Amino acid sequence: MIKGLWFLRGLRKGIVTEKFPEVKPGEVALWSTALKGDGNPQCPVEAIVDGKWIFDRCIFCRKCLPSYAPNGNFNIFKVRKKEPSFNKSFHLFPFDSGACGACNAELHNIASPQYDMTRFGIFFTNTPRHADAIVIMGVWTQGMKKALDLALDAMPGPKLVIALGACAATGGIMGKGALAEEKYDVVIGGCPPNPYTILSALEKARGD
Amino acid sequence: MHWYRNDEPQGRFIGSTANMDIYAETYTNASARQKESTYRKADQEFIFSYGPASGMLESSEIDLFTPGEIINHVDVGTDVRKRILRLARSNPVDALMKIERINGFHGASHAICFISALEDAMDIIPDRKLQYNRIVQIECERIRSNLMVIERMAQAAGFGVPVNQLAFLREKMSRIIGRRGGHRYFFGVNSINNSCFNTEVIGKQTGSVAEDFNDIFRGLSESKLFINRLQDNGINRDSLSIGPAARASGMMHDARMDSGTLPYEDTSYAIVTNDEKDAYGRFMVRAEEIEVSSNIIKHLEKRCRDLGKYDYSMKDGEGMARVESPPGDLFCSVKIAGGKLESSGYIPPSIRNIESFRESMKGNIFTDFHFNWESYGIWVAEAGVVLQ
Ligand code: SF4
Ligand code: SF4
Repeated sequence: MIKGLWFLRGLRKGIVTEKFPEVKPGEVALWSTALKGDGNPQCPVEAIVDGKWIFDRCIFCRKCLPSYAPNGNFNIFKVRKKEPSFNKSFHLFPFDSGACGACNAELHNIASPQYDMTRFGIFFTNTPRHADAIVIMGVWTQGMKKALDLALDAMPGPKLVIALGACAATGGIMGKGALAEEKYDVVIGGCPPNPYTILSALEKARGD
Repeated sequence: MHWYRNDEPQGRFIGSTANMDIYAETYTNASARQKESTYRKADQEFIFSYGPASGMLESSEIDLFTPGEIINHVDVGTDVRKRILRLARSNPVDALMKIERINGFHGASHAICFISALEDAMDIIPDRKLQYNRIVQIECERIRSNLMVIERMAQAAGFGVPVNQLAFLREKMSRIIGRRGGHRYFFGVNSINNSCFNTEVIGKQTGSVAEDFNDIFRGLSESKLFINRLQDNGINRDSLSIGPAARASGMMHDARMDSGTLPYEDTSYAIVTNDEKDAYGRFMVRAEEIEVSSNIIKHLEKRCRDLGKYDYSMKDGEGMARVESPPGDLFCSVKIAGGKLESSGYIPPSIRNIESFRESMKGNIFTDFHFNWESYGIWVAEAGVVLQ
């Protein structure tokens, strides 16, 4: 029995990191993927307008079933600005403006061994001064406004401003967006976004 | 109202909504509970502030009052990220979408508690199979939540390998959940008198997570370095404490035992307690409860297969429910009038856990802070929400 030797315990488990993005993920929860369908069913957040599904408003509540259903495509994000200089290393500052915890957990999850963000050179930092991108989660809240302004100011350029999830992007069902939607360089859809969606969006944002 | 009655206080105190005090069996009009006096900073003290955006999982404002090393007082500000949810006069079904997003990490507990209060108000007695299905969901959520708490305690100790192994298991749990309900945080899975969570052979999968966890648990328990950081750290003497914090202080406080909302009496449930009272006790209780939850799931999985499609019709009334969410008692009350929510009450576990944490921090040293905070499994998201 190996006692307390964590290094050996780690080796015993072998490599568990998936080969994403070279190999397609085997398992994505359906209600974090694009919706496809017809018509204009009632939607609590007006994410279906003129028969068009608007990814960054959708809270994946299933109220539009059966007119609309998820199709398994997890690439639900928009990149307005790419920053290739973050190709080697990409430091993210997570910012919780008023999130429910699920976006926070999914962002945290890209560090888990299945995804292992570090193999892409992606890291978290706990200060905006060392950040290449700020990842904003949750709705606008009065108390976090000043902290958000300060964080945005403190970041050195070039920088990216990323919305993670419907709340940050458009307010979803919980309030209004943390910033006006057009202020984001990258918008990642989901409530919460799937870890594969987050990784794909981050990779795209640095020009991959 | 089936489970609660307006009467003299009976059973332990659970918490207060805007106008009611809730006990294990009864509720009363809210008493004028004495608010804690405001602590005044002593001359030799300075305030070390964490947050609001500090790289912790959530935003919060934590002020540690210290003359240098010993912590004399702690303030935890949850208002900084206050979310105001307007529920009054809304359709109960629409309100549910907001309730499950109060604390998304505990979306099943929140949805099931709120739905149970609605069903109580509407005189719906859910089918036993549906109730078992709900228990399975909450126990899956508890396994994932306990893994997260222990992972973050190991992270505070800088133990890279167990942190990664626990994160691996947590992701495995999220996939098990996502596969069975279409959503990794149970959003949209539960509705009034229904659930679309598929429990087929779930016991084997959660059982394998619990087994793998046991190996990590043994490793952590054998590590003097890890245990030393937890022992005597954050001794909890709060007699009103709830959830794993209470059970780690030897108190049999558990809504699975003393709430009629879900039929835990039909399961193999045995309460886990510990007398250590400190962060180590909370670690032990959380760890042992993973096994307990896994056993409950195994016990129930076959008994909640082939759920029917249960109908209901909207009815006016008042209802209350309480479930044991991973960090402790979660309470919801509703009043439906004219098919709309007229009022609602909500007591999240993190309110009490923050109080217990604050008290337990007194006399500890600065470096104990992270271990102790994580050991309570506090979610600021639920403590900083206001229902209107
Ligand atoms: S899932 Fe809900 S939010 Fe998304 S489009 Fe359908 S109804 Fe709208
Ligand atoms: S987008 Fe959804 S998951 Fe993310 S914080 Fe908002 S409610 Fe929670």
